[in-house]
Amino acid sequence: MKKFKFRADITTVTVVVFIVCIVLVSVMLMQFRTIEQTDITEIETMRESELRDALVDWEARYDETITQLEAVNGKIGEYNKTIEDSEAASNLIDEELKESNILVGKTDVYGEGVTVTLVDNDNYKIIAENLIDLANELRYAGAEAISINEQRVLAATDIVDMAEYTYILVNSQRIEGPSYVVKAIGDKEYLSSILNLKGSGFVDRYTTLGYNVSSRQENRVEIPKYNGDFEINYMREVESE
Amino acid sequence: MILIAIILGCVIGALIGINMPMISYTYSGYLAIAIIAALDSVFGGIASTLKKNFDLKIFVTGFFGNAILSILLTYLGQKLNVDIYLAAIVVFVGRMFNNLGIIRRFYIEKWSKNRRKNDKKEENKTVGE
Repeated sequence: MKKFKFRADITTVTVVVFIVCIVLVSVMLMQFRTIEQTDITEIETMRESELRDALVDWEARYDETITQLEAVNGKIGEYNKTIEDSEAASNLIDEELKESNILVGKTDVYGEGVTVTLVDNDNYKIIAENLIDLANELRYAGAEAISINEQRVLAATDIVDMAEYTYILVNSQRIEGPSYVVKAIGDKEYLSSILNLKGSGFVDRYTTLGYNVSSRQENRVEIPKYNGDFEINYMREVESE
Repeated sequence: MILIAIILGCVIGALIGINMPMISYTYSGYLAIAIIAALDSVFGGIASTLKKNFDLKIFVTGFFGNAILSILLTYLGQKLNVDIYLAAIVVFVGRMFNNLGIIRRFYIEKWSKNRRKNDKKEENKTVGE
């Protein structure tokens, strides 16, 4: 019975199957293309729940980024402060270094002062002791820088006679006569007055003894820097608490 | 004749499907459910043909009716905030497996009969589910 019915409608069945095939295949292909070509990460194609998740995620990330930004800004401020501090410190150190160099004698200096000229004569030959005496007196009179024949006199300077008074070493450099020029920077009036003090001034004493010594006030005395190196081999700083 | 109709229908359907405009991703969910429903109807139709109780009216109404109904149910589910499309998928895919099982058994029985006919000496193997 059923078989008969089936056979009787064969044309209708064929048409229906044909239509069904067209509809099914076309719709399936359409769906395939849609799914294939849709980027599910795009906001436009997201479903509501996905959008909600994404929004929450982005909000969290936003907060995190803001926090990070604040932290980084804080660090930048800190660094800037540190940079300013160290710049100020380095300026201070530079100034101190400059001052120290001037004091120590590592730089050429000039200023008002006196020039003392000592010349060997027939009666007396200038020896190291005379120069030490003079340097001492100049220091006493407040000289800030002293040189003997262009050799800077420093804390470490040695002034010694060599080879039976034939020559003198200053800063271990040979100094030869017959004339010795000692320059000093300081208050020229005061220096000059101390040197020429009757009875106790260097120039007065030595002139009285018969030395050939003279002093002159100068408005500009130039004293060269110390050319050697400062070597520290034995001494160590005592560490204070 | 039916075979020719199927092949021709598939080719024309493919051509139409390729040239059809893309639909929005939001609505592709509905379309997917409709496709599942239609496939279920097709397999049901094949199974009933093999059982020789195929009814054209039932097939056509099942094909279009189930597709439209599933779309409507999915839409309703969205409005109610219930994933009704999951129930539809379970039902349709379950029935698809059922029908596929019927089709498979039919052809295996046919194949076994053929073998029995060809080689009468050999004991027939019954392959049951």
